[in-house]
Amino acid sequence: MKDVLVVVLAVVGLAFSLSGAVGITRMPDVYCRIQCSTKNVTMGALPLLLAVTIDKGFISPYGARALLIAFLLLVLSPLSSHALARAAYRSGVRMWRGAVVDVPRRRP
Amino acid sequence: MSTFLAWIAVGEAAIILILLVRLALGPTVSDRIVALNTVATQATLALFVYAAVADRSPYLDVALWLASFSYLGTVAWARYLERGLL
Repeated sequence: MKDVLVVVLAVVGLAFSLSGAVGITRMPDVYCRIQCSTKNVTMGALPLLLAVTIDKGFISPYGARALLIAFLLLVLSPLSSHALARAAYRSGVRMWRGAVVDVPRRRP
Repeated sequence: MSTFLAWIAVGEAAIILILLVRLALGPTVSDRIVALNTVATQATLALFVYAAVADRSPYLDVALWLASFSYLGTVAWARYLERGLL
């Protein structure tokens, strides 16, 4: 039972990490790529940390470090993504041709 | 179970190779920073799983350090892109 849970969570984490990496490679635009990279953290990292924690036991160095790493990734990854998107927009990186709305440009 | 987790660690490290394509191609600096940020996350995960495979808890501290300080590089690059060298 425990092994089945570990395998399922680890495979889900690996699959989402792979799809996030493929999205970062294939997306047409910086802003779309940032969106893919956040997917990589929330659905790629957290199931994998949970899988290792279930495998090694919750009361262990692995459980404590997994909790800390999950907290840090959840707090710091949106922060850096937001700062990067804002800096890219202000430094004049264009959206791709298919983009339909550009809200900050409409404002005075 | 240990060999399975070893393959998971290898897979997480192999994803870095896909990201290196974007790091090499990326037309602007921002694309490269996105790729580098994700490389840091993947390295953290690979190191964490490898620590569980090798049963060495000191490696966990390296993963924790990588998770907590990789964002500083991204924020520093973003600040540089936005305002120039200050």
